[in-house]
Amino acid sequence: MIQDMRLIELKGVCKNFGDTQVLHDVDLYIRKCEFITLLGPSGCGKTTLLRIIGGFEMPSSGEVLFEGKDMTGIPPYKRRINTVFQKYALFNHLNVYDNIAFGLNLKTPEQLGVQTKKEKKEEIARRVNRMLKLVKMEGYEKRSTNALSGGQQQRIAIARALVNEPEVLLLDEPLGALDLKLRKEMQLELKAMQQQLGITFIYVTHDQEEALTMSDTIAVMNGGRIQQIGDPKGIYDEPKNAFVADFIGESNIVDGVMLQDDLVKFRDTEFQCVDEGFDTNEPVDVVIRPEDIMIVGEDVGMLSGTVESVIFKGVHYEMMIRDEIGGEGQGMLWKVHSTTMQPVGTRVGMTIVPYNIHIMHKAKTADAEPVSETGDKEA
Amino acid sequence: MVRNKRASKALKGTYLALVLAFLYIPIVVMIALSFNKSVSRAEWTGFTFDWYAKLFQSKQIMAALRVTLEVAVVATAVSTVIGTLGAIGMHAMNTGMANVLVNLSYLPMTTPDIVTGVSLMLMFVFAKVPLSKWTMIMAHIAFDTPYVLFSVMPKLRQMNPNLYEAALDLGCSPMKALGKVIVPEISPGIVTGALLAFTMSLDDFVISYFTSNTDQNLAMIVYSAARRGVEPTMYALSTLMFVAIMALLLLVNRRSGLENM
Repeated sequence: MIQDMRLIELKGVCKNFGDTQVLHDVDLYIRKCEFITLLGPSGCGKTTLLRIIGGFEMPSSGEVLFEGKDMTGIPPYKRRINTVFQKYALFNHLNVYDNIAFGLNLKTPEQLGVQTKKEKKEEIARRVNRMLKLVKMEGYEKRSTNALSGGQQQRIAIARALVNEPEVLLLDEPLGALDLKLRKEMQLELKAMQQQLGITFIYVTHDQEEALTMSDTIAVMNGGRIQQIGDPKGIYDEPKNAFVADFIGESNIVDGVMLQDDLVKFRDTEFQCVDEGFDTNEPVDVVIRPEDIMIVGEDVGMLSGTVESVIFKGVHYEMMIRDEIGGEGQGMLWKVHSTTMQPVGTRVGMTIVPYNIHIMHKAKTADAEPVSETGDKEA
Repeated sequence: MVRNKRASKALKGTYLALVLAFLYIPIVVMIALSFNKSVSRAEWTGFTFDWYAKLFQSKQIMAALRVTLEVAVVATAVSTVIGTLGAIGMHAMNTGMANVLVNLSYLPMTTPDIVTGVSLMLMFVFAKVPLSKWTMIMAHIAFDTPYVLFSVMPKLRQMNPNLYEAALDLGCSPMKALGKVIVPEISPGIVTGALLAFTMSLDDFVISYFTSNTDQNLAMIVYSAARRGVEPTMYALSTLMFVAIMALLLLVNRRSGLENM
C-alpha cells in the first residue's frame, strides 16, 4: 500500500556534464511503497536522475531529501538504498551465495540483530536462503555467476540488492537484456515482489509498455525535464503534451486551431471535442490514438482517404490511410488500428468521436521537442 | 592442383623449420655442451652432470643466485603494488590526462636498456646514493612497473564500470570496494604482470650492471666469466636460466590463453 509520506523529494535538481545540461530543474516526490517509473527515450536524463538518488552523482544544484533530510554529499554506502544495475554487475570472483551475502557480510552482528560472529553467519545464511527462495533460485548457491543465464543473473542481482532490506530499490533498465517472454514474466514477478516486501521501487526504462504494466506512478521525461507525472491510465488517456502522447502508445499528432470551447479545426475540417479553456484561435496539437479512428463508408466519414498499406499485427490490422486534404497524394498519413481489414487502394471514410480527440497546448520550449507529423509540405 | 598444394605445404614447413632452427640451434648447442664431459667445445667425450654439480658448489654462483632472486622478488612485489595502483588511478582519470601518463609509462619499455642503466646510475651518483643491491632493486622496480601497468590496464578497461558502484551500493567504503571487488576482478592481470616483471628481473644484465656495485646477479656472473674464457659451468648456468624463464613465459602465455577462451 502506498503511504502518503514523502520518502524522497527532489527540489529543483539540475545536473550539468561540462557544458551540457542533462537535467533541468527537476521536482519530484516519491512516496513510501510506491512503484515509480522514470520513462523516456535514451538521453532524456532518466538514468542520471536515478544515479543522483543513488548517490553516484551529485546534483549541480537543487536538493535531494530523504525523509525530509538533505542527502547531498552522503555517499552511496551510507544510504538506505540499493541498486540493480543495467548489466547486473555481479561479482564474478564470488559464487551466487557470496554475491547475495556481500552486503550482509559488511554489517556488524549488531546491525543484523545478533551478538556473536557465529550468530551473524547463521543470520546471513537464513536471509540469503530466504532471498534465493523469493527469486526462485534455490539450489544455485555454489554456482559461479558466469555459469548463469541472463535471466538468472538478473534474479541474483535483484536478490543481492533486496537482501539488505533497503528502504528504496533503484532499478536501471534491469530487464533490457532479456528476451520478450522472460521480460514479461519478470515484470510480473518484480511487481509481485514489490507488493509483497513493501519496498519503494524506482524503475528506469524506455519501454512504455513495461512502465504501464508495472508502475503506480510514471514520470515521463524528455530533454532533461519531467514532461508529465501520473498514474499509467491517466498518462495514457490524458497525455499533457504531444511528446507524451507520442511516447506513450502510438498517436496521430496533427496541427490544429482551437476555434472555441469544444470546437477544433484541423485538416481543414471542424471537429467537436470536449476540451475547454483554450484561447480563441490558439494553435494546438491534436492527438488521436490509432484505435480511436473508426473506418466508415467512403462518403459518410468526417475525412476520407485511401488505404496505402496494411500490416497484420495479431489482434488488429494497422493501416496507413492518406487523407485528401491538399490535393491528391499530398494528404497526411493516418495510422489506424482496426480489427477489420480494408485492402490497399480502398477509398474509406474516417470518423472520430469528440472524447477521443485530445487537444494539447503547443510545447513552449525547444527541449520539449513537439513531435508532429503535419503532412503540410509547403516548403 | 594437389601437387601445388603439397609443394606449398612443403615450402611453408621448410621455412618454419629454418626460422626455428636459426633461433634455437645456438641454444640447443649450448644445452648439449653443458652435458659434455670434455672442457673442449670441439669434441663430445660423454654425458655428465658434473658441470651442474660444480655450479651448485660454487660459492660465487650461489651468492649471485641469491642476489638475483632477492632482487627479482623484492622488485616484483613493489612494482606489482605500484603498477596496479597506478593503473587503477589512471583508469579513473579523465581521458586526456590519462593518455599522457600512459604514453609516458610506455617510454621506459622502449628506451634501450643501456640508456636506462646509465641514466639511473647517474641519478644515484648525483643523489649520492652509494651503488649496492638496493640501488639495483630500485632500478628493477623502475623497469618492472610498466609491465605490471600494461597487464592490469586492459583488465580494468574490460571490467564492468558498475562493479565499483555496486560495491559502494552494498555498503563498501571506496577502500573496501578496491580490496573486495576491484582487485579480485583484475587479479588475472595483476598475476600476469607480476610474472612478466619477475622474468624481466631474472634475466636483466645491462641495467643491473650499471646500478650495482659488488653485488652481482647471475647475468653479470655469466658476462664476467665469459671475459675470462667460458667454462662449461656457464653453459649449465645459462641452460638453467633459459629453462626457468621459458617456464615462466609459458605460464604467462597459458594464463592469457585461458582468459581469452
